[in-house]
Amino acid sequence: MIVRLKHTVALPLHRGSVLYCWVTALAVLAAGVATLCLGRLGIPLADLPSALLGGAEGKTAFVLERLRGPRLATAVLTGALLGLSGALFQGVTRNPLGSPDVIGLGAGAGAGVAVTSLHATGVPTPVGAVLGAAVAALLVHLCTGTGFRSPTRTIVAGIGVSAAAYALTQYVVSVRLRDAAAQLAAYLAGSLNAASARDVAVAGVALAVTLPLAMTLPVSMRLLEMGDETAAGLGVDPDRVRTAAIVLSVVAAGAAVAAAGPIAFVALTAPQIARRTIGSAQAGVLPAAFTGALIMVLADLAAQQVPAFDGLPVGVLTLGVGGCYLGHLLLDQHRKGRL
Amino acid sequence: MRAPAALAGALAGLAVVTAASLLFGGRVTPAADLLAVLTGAPDPYLEAVLESRFSRTVLGVLVGSALAVAGVLIQAVTRNPLGDPGLLGVTVGASAAVVTAAAVTGSGFGAGSVWIALPGALLTVLLVHVVGGRSRENGTVGLLLAGAVVSAVLSAYVQAMTLTRPGVFDSFRFWVIGALGGRDLSVAAAIAPALVIGLGLALVLSPSLNNLALGDDVATGLGTPVALVRATGILAAALLGAAATATAGPISFVGLAVPHLARALAGPDHRWQVPLAALLGGILLVAADVLGRVVARPGEVMVGIVTALLGAPFLLLAVRRGWATR
Repeated sequence: MIVRLKHTVALPLHRGSVLYCWVTALAVLAAGVATLCLGRLGIPLADLPSALLGGAEGKTAFVLERLRGPRLATAVLTGALLGLSGALFQGVTRNPLGSPDVIGLGAGAGAGVAVTSLHATGVPTPVGAVLGAAVAALLVHLCTGTGFRSPTRTIVAGIGVSAAAYALTQYVVSVRLRDAAAQLAAYLAGSLNAASARDVAVAGVALAVTLPLAMTLPVSMRLLEMGDETAAGLGVDPDRVRTAAIVLSVVAAGAAVAAAGPIAFVALTAPQIARRTIGSAQAGVLPAAFTGALIMVLADLAAQQVPAFDGLPVGVLTLGVGGCYLGHLLLDQHRKGRL
Repeated sequence: MRAPAALAGALAGLAVVTAASLLFGGRVTPAADLLAVLTGAPDPYLEAVLESRFSRTVLGVLVGSALAVAGVLIQAVTRNPLGDPGLLGVTVGASAAVVTAAAVTGSGFGAGSVWIALPGALLTVLLVHVVGGRSRENGTVGLLLAGAVVSAVLSAYVQAMTLTRPGVFDSFRFWVIGALGGRDLSVAAAIAPALVIGLGLALVLSPSLNNLALGDDVATGLGTPVALVRATGILAAALLGAAATATAGPISFVGLAVPHLARALAGPDHRWQVPLAALLGGILLVAADVLGRVVARPGEVMVGIVTALLGAPFLLLAVRRGWATR
């Protein structure tokens, strides 16, 4: 065990993970090109390289800089943030169901955005989102009485916190005028329709801050899986690692919500998909981030190009598909007797 | 002996909140003027105010009772202290069915929607039961999670329907939060059959529910047809939940909290719990509605928001005390 430990400390990247990251990155690239090129307003594939290098004019420039470019960038960045957030949270709670969605980080961040946009207009909405997510996490932590150690308590407390956050959000929606409410409702469903350069900046900065920090954690988190005593014996402070992971997870989830609204279930599914495909518990933060980005880009591509989903916020798609996946996961955990 | 006293107290409480609901509202009207109108003085404006407050009071009592009794039934049948029509997907199932009907027919959310909400609610409850009710010993969390999952998928559907259809969104925006205002008594008439059947079944089942609380084996030994009681209880709960949801939109936590209150006041006997919960549910919902009208004058906070904000801490307390994860 100690030999492998030295190995992982020296090189925290597993070979399967590296391959997986390359494949998902290529898939994100392909889906990104499709996002920019498909459809009536799409940029012709032949024009894309020159347009990306700054030679865009007229309609092409408008599509690239205003319509689909920010949208694509926001999708990639928020997807990565959500994947990262989920990987950290699931790693610490040692349970796929102890994920940001289930404990109400998204709902809390949404409420934070709704409250800051109505009652505290001086506070920037990204700050409101992170604060909302933090309050949600804190409430769940306090109400379980055991921290995040008991998965079942965490989940049930999360349901309660989500419900309260949702009610607060609905209060804001209901007192707003109709147009503002419809806009806010679309936003609160998690939408990239109006993604702007500001959203790209928020998500980009958040990812640039959280990803490098998160990359330093997986080794210690893996040691935690052996139990707190063993980890402490190997020189890891369990509580500090747990707190660091949760704080990073909250910041990442909050920033994603600030940029794109509460996108459901990407944080839950991305780490699971990465982990199961790589077939190893060594799947760390990076594969989850790439998977999250891929899920978001694909969901957004579907929202733009599949007629049946025309005009739907991307969060509705991830909610529907991710909900089914959560059901599958639930049955699986049930069968294994982990619930 | 304390159960009859609790029942009498609840009746008095119901009278108090009814009076409060008639007297307090978004606009402050002097109680003396309202009393004068009640005794026959002609005043068209105050008569209209009274009429609308009367309708929402009656609907509040009916909806609150239905949700509370549905909660008692679900908690008894699943032996799950966190049973609540909302948490088990009744309300979102009813919402999905009603939204579908509204989108297809282009009409609003009228009195007839209870007969559309009902099959939606029943199907959802069945689904949640099948997905989450597998294991006997840890059924609590399984059912709750299944409810959360089914709710997530169905609310995605509901969101998709409302966000792509502005007309549906407009009427749905208020319906989805759970409100008592703006509905007249024809709605009460429409849901009456579902309420009567549901409450009747609950009363008939209550001795069997007492046996069920002793465990399946003991209940079977006492001659209780366990499977039949379960199925009928779930059916009655779905009927009540669907009727309530069709009337007022999704209202959470009344069905969760009231049964605990009723148990604390009346003891474990379901023959007392059911009627007491019916009264307490009515009181709680009307009180929440009055509170929502008073705190946000001259506007109002819809009752669904009030119950969620007051009820969520109750669920968190339940987790903290360990009821949820026993």
